[in-house]
Amino acid sequence: MNNNVPFPAVVSAIRPLTVETSLITLDTDPHHPVAASFLPGQFLELSLPGVGEFPVSYCGFPSVDGSIELCIRHVGHVTTPLQTAAPGDGVGVRGPFGHGFPLSAYSGLDLLLIAGGLGMAPLRSLLLALLKQRGLCGRLTLLYGARETGALLFLDELLEMQKRGVIELQLTVDRPGYCLNGPPDCRVAMLPDLMDQLDVDPGRTCAAICGPPVVYPLLVSGLRLLGLTDNRIHLSLERRMKCGVGRCGHCAVGTRLCCADGPVFSLAELAGTEGAIV
Amino acid sequence: MAPQYIASHNLAALLDRLRRYGELHGPVRGDDEVVRFAAIAPGTLPDLSALRTLLPPKKYLLHPQETILNYTAAAGYQMPAEEVRPLILFGVHPCDLAGINYLDRVFLGDAPDPLYAARRSALTLIGISCTPDEFCSCHISPSPLNALTDLSLQSLADGYAISSGSPRGDELLEGVKEILEERDIAVPEDTRRFFGQVAAEPLRQELDATLPDWQTLADACLGCGACSICCPTCYCFDVLEFGGLDGRSAVRLRQWDNCLLKCHAEVAGGMSFQKNRAERFRYRYRHKFRGFGPLQGIPSCVGCGRCRVVCPAGLDLRPLAERLDEGRHEQ
Repeated sequence: MNNNVPFPAVVSAIRPLTVETSLITLDTDPHHPVAASFLPGQFLELSLPGVGEFPVSYCGFPSVDGSIELCIRHVGHVTTPLQTAAPGDGVGVRGPFGHGFPLSAYSGLDLLLIAGGLGMAPLRSLLLALLKQRGLCGRLTLLYGARETGALLFLDELLEMQKRGVIELQLTVDRPGYCLNGPPDCRVAMLPDLMDQLDVDPGRTCAAICGPPVVYPLLVSGLRLLGLTDNRIHLSLERRMKCGVGRCGHCAVGTRLCCADGPVFSLAELAGTEGAIV
Repeated sequence: MAPQYIASHNLAALLDRLRRYGELHGPVRGDDEVVRFAAIAPGTLPDLSALRTLLPPKKYLLHPQETILNYTAAAGYQMPAEEVRPLILFGVHPCDLAGINYLDRVFLGDAPDPLYAARRSALTLIGISCTPDEFCSCHISPSPLNALTDLSLQSLADGYAISSGSPRGDELLEGVKEILEERDIAVPEDTRRFFGQVAAEPLRQELDATLPDWQTLADACLGCGACSICCPTCYCFDVLEFGGLDGRSAVRLRQWDNCLLKCHAEVAGGMSFQKNRAERFRYRYRHKFRGFGPLQGIPSCVGCGRCRVVCPAGLDLRPLAERLDEGRHEQ
């Protein structure tokens, strides 16, 4: 397979999630759904013709019909013009790239998902995959924090899962914001604070984390306090992955390449690596 | 069989015969006194006395800036149709050959880069022996990279010993045999012996960020990027896309990049993963001396000395590498 040339894809839906974040659904060739066959945690390179290309993690469930869901924050020079994309617009996709979350290692264990801000995107993909094989693991707990209530992504979906009793959900925001109708039981605290009252069995729990780099050190020390070992903590790292195939030299973490060896690493793999956890 | 020999006065005849096999390039001294790899004009000789060209031969395999994709609304993204003509590089020193060997390992791995692969297969390498100067370090730190050639020339008093290193080289030797002679001569060892050495066990421990050397380097660096441009094994590239004025077409380019530049690790919003220059020096160090991804454990510095020559601040990572390498024995 040639991973150097983007395959054509078409925007089939674009739904604003917050002021600056959208859920974009793409259709790729259903007879050749390469880019739609991924593992949660892997990423894709999305091209907007004439503008550029950027790496973005998959946000939905791997599909057989070639459709791809991506959660995109419109802050960069390619993602900003993408905000005004309309159904029918043509884009390009290359992928999937990298290693995702180790689903098989979660078998029979409880899973603690911790998402900060846009980090909810790849963890939604993981969550959907785990719910699809509900028997695979035990308790599913999601700790999710955002800047303010209006910035919490996929809230309806998550509350629905909580209502159905398939996940245990804890939400927090850094500040209350202006949204009067916040979700029930949403705390005003920093994300790592949610771990204070957490009840987990460290002997049978794995953690999957995705969030802004700044929260990683606190989350990691919190998880260690709970008794989780480093090889049971997986985190998704963000770097500037320009080519996706380990050649452009932009995404090294220590001597590992985030695009090819990651972006999901176990904490044990990253031990002592400068700059891995900022 | 006695070694093949070609007399110095037959060099022009050799070059003329080689031209039958492709465009012939080699080190040429320009009017500006700069020696660079360029076309050797018929009737002229390359400058074989120069120890290093301004840029290494990587420029033939990875152009400083090149189109990697064309886009049209009708056809989508497509690879450019590039006509690759046979190219013969004459007079390549072992360090630059090892540099090409490193680039081969990066770009011809599991999924070869199509542009690189096409150019590489059209490339014939004719190496020549050299004598290291005070900027060279091939003889100080032997490299696991291979200095592979199609043909090799080894300087003797009044000519060259010439030998083949590949089927392509055999073909060339056959084609120029009328100007070769067999001579019972002792062929001295050349600088190729510093390459193809067994790689040392990779160092597992992280770089010590508290060493004051990093900050000393960072304080003096002007951030000009010259060290990467002239490095035979620096291959980092940036990817840029330009939309056509018709609004329906675009080109995507890649161009040489440098990890010491601040923009190298920046992401949308201005956040950077290599905030200060000392961190960026460690990034460069890791890439040069420890290797990234599948090339972990293979140092890519081939000791050509170009970065030491061109750095306006006179910086040099080598002494630090040698010191840190000594630490290997104390592990």
